[in-house]
Amino acid sequence: MANRILLCIGTKKGLFVAESASPRRRFTLRGPFGPGVAVYSALVDTRGTPRLYASSCNPFFGMKVLRSTDLGKTFKETKSAPAFSKEDGRAVANIWSLEAGGNRKELWCGVEPAALFKSRDGGDSWEMVSGISNHEHARKWHPGNGGLCMHTILRDGKRVHLGISTGGHYLSEDGGETFAAANQGIGAGFLPDPFIEFGQCVHKIARHSGAPGRLYMQNHGGFPEHPGIGVLRSDDHGHTWRSIADGLPSDFGFPILVHPHDPDTIYVMPLEAPTRTCPGGAPAVWRSENGGGSWKKLTQGLPKKESFFTVLRDAMDIDELSSPALYFGTTTGQLWFGREGGERWECLFDSLPPIHCVKVTVV
Amino acid sequence: MITVHLPAPLRDCCEGASELAFPAPSLRAVLDALEQRHPSLHRSICDETGTVRRHVNLFVNINHMRDCNGLDTPLVPGDVVTILPAVSGG
Repeated sequence: MANRILLCIGTKKGLFVAESASPRRRFTLRGPFGPGVAVYSALVDTRGTPRLYASSCNPFFGMKVLRSTDLGKTFKETKSAPAFSKEDGRAVANIWSLEAGGNRKELWCGVEPAALFKSRDGGDSWEMVSGISNHEHARKWHPGNGGLCMHTILRDGKRVHLGISTGGHYLSEDGGETFAAANQGIGAGFLPDPFIEFGQCVHKIARHSGAPGRLYMQNHGGFPEHPGIGVLRSDDHGHTWRSIADGLPSDFGFPILVHPHDPDTIYVMPLEAPTRTCPGGAPAVWRSENGGGSWKKLTQGLPKKESFFTVLRDAMDIDELSSPALYFGTTTGQLWFGREGGERWECLFDSLPPIHCVKVTVV
Repeated sequence: MITVHLPAPLRDCCEGASELAFPAPSLRAVLDALEQRHPSLHRSICDETGTVRRHVNLFVNINHMRDCNGLDTPLVPGDVVTILPAVSGG
């Protein structure tokens, strides 16, 4: 029986792990692991004995992958980290995503500059997935301010969805061997022709296994001349997309989540585009319970004013208990916890380093 | 022999050693030797293209390699190569 909630909190200064018994009355915090080094991605792999993974993105000494086999009490570096071949000419500048693969020890990893790697041994060795990493578009992608990052890897049987900023959404229907750009309806408001084949600044993509073919996307919105391109939905496995931003105070934001038990319930954190901070200094998570048809603002317990933080693309997550709680981390180092699907918020930790990613799992 | 001094954050890559010693005729040869003997240490000093990482500094005795002949700086027995991370901000 599941009885513990584990939170991996990747920050500018290392990885923290928070843990609570299932009533979630009190969380204890440990870390930082990989102290002083930024963590942009984390994974709690619950296939078999749980393993925790985190990227450790050292600007001095390069990329590492940390692994824990004791539920985040200790971490060790894996034997190697994703790296291009010497002949390739590219060098990994950051690790943006870690996801569980198909086999027990298989891991997938998205890096900057945008490329995909796969490990078959739990992170000790890595091979580049050439179908996307050497895609004919790859050398034409351009970095945004956050870098040219592959931040989203969604696996759905033989389908694999990738989110690349700034590259767009790429879809494989053969298990990751080959990929094609699938960006119809996804706007790039920063280009003269916003509806191009590829080059969109996708921020995050989410799906629910109970709604085959449906995907939700937080795209780079915030362009008055192109309203509504920021929050999107697809009902055909990502081949075409349509806006679901109507009713939100801003279509700019970074994370997007799906409720673990209801594919119609989704969450976003709208931000003002010019500052990437909460509209009016009053943070709010917005929830739709009808797949983006309408939205409700969730603010109880959150600051009402003078809060100008950013919530980054991987810094919001939701647990899988029967009444799930949301968690989001801020660039000002606060970790917020929203009971009952975000109805009631409290600050769990208020003085962490700037938070890059939050991953929660029930073990 | 050339002595290679290692900073504390990199000593885990070579069983805790604070210095290594081996013959090498140039700074490039030092890195080649490290790639063979201590691949994880080499990966921390150079990226996968073989370029010394931007924030890692290599000194020959007291001189930064950029003030010498870069990786082609010749070495003679007794020289000391010091590997140091650049000074860090917040």
